[in-house]
Amino acid sequence: MPALRNKNCNYISKKEIKITFDGKSYSAYEGDTIASALLRNNIRLIGRSFKYHRPRGIYTCGIEEPNALVQILNEHNEPNTRATVKRVYDGIKICSQNRWPSLSFDIGSINNILSPIFSAGFYYKTFMGPKGFWKKIYEPLIRRTAGLGKPPKNFRSKSIHQNHNIDILIVGGGLSGLIAARKLIGTDYEVLLIEQDSFLGGILKNSNKVKKVDGKNVFEWVKETEKLILESKNIKILKNTLVTTYNFTNHLIALEDKYAGKKIDINKSELILHKIRTTHTILANGHIERFISFRNNDLPGVMLASSFEKYIERYGVVADEKPVIFTNNSSTISLVKSLINLNCIPSAYIDSRKIDDIENDTKEYLSKNNIPFYPESEVEGCEGNKKVEKVYIRNSHNKISFINASMLCPSGGFNPDIHLFTQSKGLVKWDDKIISFKPDTAFQNTITLGSVSGNYEFKNLCKEINKKLSFLKASDLNLEIETNIRDDFSIKELWETKINKMSKWSKSFIDLHNDVTTKDLKQAINEGYDRIEHLKRYTTNSMGTDQGKISSINSLGIVSKILNKKISEVGTTTYRPPYAPLSFAAIAGRSTYEYYDPERKTPIHNWHIKNNAVFEDVGQWKRPWYFKRNETETMHQAVQRESRQTRKTAGILDGSTLGKIEIKGKDALEFMNLMYTNAFSKMKPMTSRYALMLGEDGMIMDDGIICKISDKHFIATTTSGGAPKVFAHMEEFLQTEWPHLQVYLNSITEQFTTFNISGPKAREIVGKVFSEIDFSNEKFPFMTFKTFNYKNTQARIMRASFTGELGYEIYISPQYALELWELIFKYGKDFDLVPYGTETMHLLRAEKGYVVIGQETDGTVTPIDINFNWMIGKKKKDFIGKRSLTRSDTAREDRKQLVGIVPLDKSQFIEEGQHIVECESLPSKIKKPIEYLGHISSSYHSPNLNHCISMAMIKSGNKLMGKKLFVSTPKGTKNIPIEIVSPVFIDPENKRLTS
Amino acid sequence: MILINCPYCGEREQSEFTNGGEAHVIRPKDPDALNDKDWGQYVFYRSNPKGIFYERWVHSHGCRKWFNAVRDTSTDTILKIYKLTDNKPDISEFQNTLESPSGEPAVGSGNFAVKK
Amino acid sequence: MTTLISTDTVNIIQKNFQQILIRGDGKDQFNQIINKEISLQPPSKNLEIKISDKYIFAKNSFDQWTLVYLIEQNYKEIIKTISSLNSNDEILASDYSYGQVYFEVSGENKDEFLNKLTQFDLRNKKFPDLSMAQTLIARIDCYIYKLNNKYIITCNKSYEDYFKERLVDLINL
Repeated sequence: MPALRNKNCNYISKKEIKITFDGKSYSAYEGDTIASALLRNNIRLIGRSFKYHRPRGIYTCGIEEPNALVQILNEHNEPNTRATVKRVYDGIKICSQNRWPSLSFDIGSINNILSPIFSAGFYYKTFMGPKGFWKKIYEPLIRRTAGLGKPPKNFRSKSIHQNHNIDILIVGGGLSGLIAARKLIGTDYEVLLIEQDSFLGGILKNSNKVKKVDGKNVFEWVKETEKLILESKNIKILKNTLVTTYNFTNHLIALEDKYAGKKIDINKSELILHKIRTTHTILANGHIERFISFRNNDLPGVMLASSFEKYIERYGVVADEKPVIFTNNSSTISLVKSLINLNCIPSAYIDSRKIDDIENDTKEYLSKNNIPFYPESEVEGCEGNKKVEKVYIRNSHNKISFINASMLCPSGGFNPDIHLFTQSKGLVKWDDKIISFKPDTAFQNTITLGSVSGNYEFKNLCKEINKKLSFLKASDLNLEIETNIRDDFSIKELWETKINKMSKWSKSFIDLHNDVTTKDLKQAINEGYDRIEHLKRYTTNSMGTDQGKISSINSLGIVSKILNKKISEVGTTTYRPPYAPLSFAAIAGRSTYEYYDPERKTPIHNWHIKNNAVFEDVGQWKRPWYFKRNETETMHQAVQRESRQTRKTAGILDGSTLGKIEIKGKDALEFMNLMYTNAFSKMKPMTSRYALMLGEDGMIMDDGIICKISDKHFIATTTSGGAPKVFAHMEEFLQTEWPHLQVYLNSITEQFTTFNISGPKAREIVGKVFSEIDFSNEKFPFMTFKTFNYKNTQARIMRASFTGELGYEIYISPQYALELWELIFKYGKDFDLVPYGTETMHLLRAEKGYVVIGQETDGTVTPIDINFNWMIGKKKKDFIGKRSLTRSDTAREDRKQLVGIVPLDKSQFIEEGQHIVECESLPSKIKKPIEYLGHISSSYHSPNLNHCISMAMIKSGNKLMGKKLFVSTPKGTKNIPIEIVSPVFIDPENKRLTS
Repeated sequence: MILINCPYCGEREQSEFTNGGEAHVIRPKDPDALNDKDWGQYVFYRSNPKGIFYERWVHSHGCRKWFNAVRDTSTDTILKIYKLTDNKPDISEFQNTLESPSGEPAVGSGNFAVKK
Repeated sequence: MTTLISTDTVNIIQKNFQQILIRGDGKDQFNQIINKEISLQPPSKNLEIKISDKYIFAKNSFDQWTLVYLIEQNYKEIIKTISSLNSNDEILASDYSYGQVYFEVSGENKDEFLNKLTQFDLRNKKFPDLSMAQTLIARIDCYIYKLNNKYIITCNKSYEDYFKERLVDLINL
């Protein structure tokens, strides 16, 4: 028989749907959460607790739920879903967690018997030895039993981000939030109102505490307010959206569930992460009820009083018709009224306050309805087999009796929900009137309204809101609020009740999520953990996914009593975002997988694809790595082929990704002399020079070719990955150190496409393509450039070599890039011109001993280390990095220097990254560290020499020419014997370049 | 993520900027005149105070201009932004809330929640 | 000109424009030289746009301007203008005519749509009409020009495919 329905509930539809829980099918209504649906079907047992595997039920009706965590089997198989928040839809499949083989018979409950071992500090004291046990026994065991649910497999969410820039953010669409919103209708402010539920109203819909607002019943007033807000031009509402984070400065994050109560459409975004930048934040996010610790306060059937009331008013289900109600404050009487309205009579009303302190209205109401009343009493504990069956009451005369009941609803008071306020770095203060912390000093433009500010009285709510928002240009609002409870809130401090009898099974919990008992807390303090931050971590109290929302203040109360300090002295632990579990899919948004990083392509990218290029990532660029001539060609074969062909006839590389910077001004020459190591003063116009850029510490930062158009106009190229860095570096010095230099820079990387053509036949090919230019050695010497007109665009061609072969670099406007590239191939066909990629480029450079920035250099290499002394302008007074070159450490003779390496056995291959050592093989017992002499920075199989060639950085390399050493290999194999040689393996006299 | 008021573009998100370390560290006019230790001081050492700090920012994803800021590092609040051409603000202009180098500001460090 | 996205509330069209990027000091001599070349005084206020039938002329920061040609010119003329400007030591003019992509965004929900890709504050009170900004959109450095109820967004051409895919991807979610 289903649980009693509250037919007056306006928030649940009449449409019946079917859900499945642990394999069985149940009826529910559209709008139900999993929890309300299960309660409708009288299901009390929901899961097993984390450590002790004790039976647990539904404790609350909201985000603060510590127990009812379930796994959703369809959708993405999401674990640890709060049954009290997740809405059901027709066909949803749910299962309970953390139990085996079943919920009712769980082997894990053996932990309960072993519980003395699992006391405070468990994680710090156990699993320490014996040696070897961790890897083989403890870790696998813990991995299998730890955690709550099972992780999802193979799912890709399409969540998006939405940015907002507004004037006022109102967090919470409850009574206070709606009054504030109503005030702002029609003003000049752009306002956003965020509500976590799918209906507005807050306490108006979740409880029976307020009867009328402004003379209208609460449902009507909320409906009218919502209509006015929707019609306004300046206020937007977001529902099903929870604010999780309050950052600096007034930047908040909220998570919207677009599929609340619906089946997910995997083609649409299911979650939206709202990133809100606002000028003012109004926190109206309410309060959370806290529990009380007593014996077995975790049994299924114990549910917080306000939550029970919310199930009646908001979800229309009476979970139990005769509950026992246990309270220490004046607010809980509204629950009794809710029950009486539905002809249900509570089994008992237990109030821990003195009889004179209890409201007369309450006493009369209880008496009129014949409800057994226990003033000045408390619940000693409860008992039952996997559910509440008996409730033990200690009365004012210290006598203990019991009553039979199946539901117990405690209320230990209310905490203003200060998570977001403290995340904003505001400070809270203890308030003795409400016995909780409330917001005190804001750090940002934060205003708190209503119960979150510690104001539990309805009659002065409008006055409070008008006063706090008086700085805004909005008119005052004065609404009369009629309540079902006494307006002045009264409460008596009660954190835990006195326990009478303890059995092995009895526990009084202070944290339900992580199974921390009050005994654990006391034991930890005995062990010396008396600071709240230590205590939290040592006991794991409030460290669960519920962040101890219903219990952490209680723990402070208990600790303060033991330490005999005021709660404000004990303090609280730091509240950290997010306020509720935040899915990584939402955090990532669309910046995942193929969209993870912006991709850059050159103007002839499609040609590369058509010609079977395999790409590699160079920074954000997609560069051809090598070209496959046919399906079966391997990378090694392709690279060997490309390299061989380029040195035989010609090869061409798409170099568009390399950075280009235009530098111009009266002081351009002085600037260039300062930025690079080279001397540019005597450089002739229309010539080019290979240049090095150092950091102030003397280490090589980047290299490039500088073309001098005139002393006042240069074009510098950079590496592909270094382009943005070099440009920023130049701008930094111009703006911050040398603003007196008249120089301007523009990045022109994208304004020209660059082709590098090299090889013995390069001259003939370009001669055919650009028939109007004289490419002879006399008319077009090495390291010079010419500008010319190509179809009415400015083009440039420079004679330089990146491969050690005769070569030219062509700069052309992107609109003609593809056309020219294809034209070059048309003429190049006769010469077997081959396209090559970055791998071949590296190989050809390695054969010539040309370093690659980032390969041979790593931020710790100076020009002298790689034999580039000739690139330093000796007569220059100053350039960036010059002084550091003479630092004692930078000028050391035994620094790592660039050398070439060949294996003695020409058939062996050396890997990049391998270390160079003196010993022939690793000793069987390594008594002292093997000295590291250097490492292999580049290594390739040269098709032109037919053996492995490597470049290495090795200590005192310059003095080691001809020396025989070894390259270290993985354990068990013999080290490779090598010889140190010059790094220039091909054409050491540079005949090919300058032909 | 803080809002930074670029002197040329107005208020923008922090993600558009890159921090440039300590400000007013002037490159020595005659590097050769310095010994290794003093030169090393310029190249490698920068202050890292808890409290008022003069630093540089560059609007790398915007106008790419450099400017200076005074930030209270104990609360991560930018107190003043000024152009490279403006005078360096005197430290007396700012209310340094710390009483000692290892003190805590009264509010805003995020290290404690309860008002002292 | 190709239509990328066309819905009731958001329209995105890809267009092509020629452009010159100019660096200079913005003082009287600079203004005179520019005016002589293109018959338009450069905008003096930072982020300000001057618009005519032929040009969008925007001041990006205290020493940088972008000149976008709304009507296609004979490219020779643009090269001539650039050379002429560059004949002055104190001006750097770089040709940006064929290395950028341009998107024209309009529609009543354009702000909300663009705010899925950028955190930039597009509201009129922070980003008035006839002003421009340099910012990040879809993690790419972009220039955004606000002209009479539409935006022109431009970035480096190498990002074209990625940027278009991000736009189309979001419109469907």
